[in-house]
Amino acid sequence: MLEIVILGRGGQGAQTAGNLLAQAFFSQGKYVQTFSTYGGARRGTPVTSSLRVSSSPIRQRCNITQASALLCFDDSLLDAGYLGQAAENALIVVNTAKPEDTLMRLGGQRIVAVDGKTIARRNKMGKVVNSALLGGFCAALGQPGLESIAQTIENSAPAKKQENVAACREAFGLLEPVLERV
Amino acid sequence: MNAPAFADDMQLLNGNHAVAWGVRLAGPDVAPLYPITPQTPILEKLIEFQSSGAFQAELLTPESEHSAMAAAIAASATGARVFTATSSQGLLLMHELLHFASGARTPIVMFNVNRTPASPWGFWPDQIDSLSQRDTGWVQLYSENPQDSLDSVIQAFRIAEATNLPVMINHDAFYVSHSVEPVSLPSPEAVTDFLPRQARDIQLGDGSGRSLGAPIDQASWNRTRRDLDEAMKTVEQFAIDASQVWEKQTGRASAPLEFYRYHDAEIVFVTMGSMCGTAREAIDRLRTSGIKAGLLKVRLFRPLPNEALRDALRGAQHAIVLDRNYSPGTGGVLHQELRSVLFGTQDPPRLHGYLAGVGGLSVPEERLEALATEVRDTVPAANSLWLE
Repeated sequence: MLEIVILGRGGQGAQTAGNLLAQAFFSQGKYVQTFSTYGGARRGTPVTSSLRVSSSPIRQRCNITQASALLCFDDSLLDAGYLGQAAENALIVVNTAKPEDTLMRLGGQRIVAVDGKTIARRNKMGKVVNSALLGGFCAALGQPGLESIAQTIENSAPAKKQENVAACREAFGLLEPVLERV
Repeated sequence: MNAPAFADDMQLLNGNHAVAWGVRLAGPDVAPLYPITPQTPILEKLIEFQSSGAFQAELLTPESEHSAMAAAIAASATGARVFTATSSQGLLLMHELLHFASGARTPIVMFNVNRTPASPWGFWPDQIDSLSQRDTGWVQLYSENPQDSLDSVIQAFRIAEATNLPVMINHDAFYVSHSVEPVSLPSPEAVTDFLPRQARDIQLGDGSGRSLGAPIDQASWNRTRRDLDEAMKTVEQFAIDASQVWEKQTGRASAPLEFYRYHDAEIVFVTMGSMCGTAREAIDRLRTSGIKAGLLKVRLFRPLPNEALRDALRGAQHAIVLDRNYSPGTGGVLHQELRSVLFGTQDPPRLHGYLAGVGGLSVPEERLEALATEVRDTVPAANSLWLE
């Protein structure tokens, strides 16, 4: 079972990203379960989205405590509490313009930086970073494939379909060499 | 039911949208609804269905849940098929009219998303909102996952209309209501076959000038409760029938009580709602290490299947009751109910009550796995214990 946590601030699209990633895995015939918990959450407050992916039906209904991978929409959220939800050797993909070696990590966690803001702007997406981050995350994770996530984004984007897909593809392309390094 | 196997007719839906699909397929005539977190996606999806022309019910949006239930009772008394949905504070605000609905024998189907009641304010999965309505005369079902919720909505209309009793289905906030996963959608034809439109006793609006709920004398009021009691006694069999017919049509059973790796189990978990899924994982781990564990899922909580529970628990050495609720002064509601069921039986299992996940705390399968080992050498406490 692959367990993923997506961490962001309310309004950044972390929940949407979780749903899109689930859809991409589902389109490949995988069982998925994704859920967010919120209540008092407002624009700007921390929110998490959890995703399980498996080749057999998923039954447990509890939080993810040892994620294999974490996608973080905002480097200011990276602290020991959130990083502690990911496993010792987890992949941590962070939306940031900072160098990777300046970012916090725990134990053997592998940090990969994606400059989602710059990629989004270059593809006329303004401040909407989730398509770029999904592209980068899938490249670093090695699954689901570029075509699965790009197609899911194209089907789901309410506007700027081509721009969303272009941002996803650009980030995916940038991240492959990084992945070989880690 | 267990999580469903992959099928071509599957879509990714969250639990609340699965409920809305069940409602759309069941085709109620009237749906009075008031929004509340975390129920609101049910209302939003039904409005989306209605505006696209796929859902024909008259949607009423009154000023409170109390008024929504009043509208539901009145509409149901005219013979209409009626659906409503709520959660926590909304359900509690309806409380007065929940008694009214069952007394008036209106077969309303209501979906409740289990959420912590105030105070303090919270949004988290906890079943005390609906369990504290256990004496209001509503049939209560508890759902484990989005597929179970969809199937239960459709079955609930059949049970309600067969018994003239209102039915409340419950699923846990977030772990089910907002969990997006593959859900199989039955065909509209299958649902129409399963839920034929039948002429009902019309209590209002037939032009005869009868009144509904008018004052009556003591003996007549007493008679209404005896009638209610008779109707309640038929629910379990109607629920079994509904499950069997549904299984023939869809391949998915959802019986009043469900069992997982149970026949030779020595340590059994007894619980309701989303905790059942986590318990299944824990049981598989325990079986791998040679411990004979099993699950008894209580899907029908009102009326409680007393005899079936006694039969099921005969032979188990330990029963671990997991209550995601806390009744102050008592402990876990299901624990209390099972003590009552088992009282006076020969050789009952040792009954260990745990308050597990109260307030929406996450209970991982590893904790349940450890718990099964812990109870083996333990004399059960009289009260429910807080799971640490």
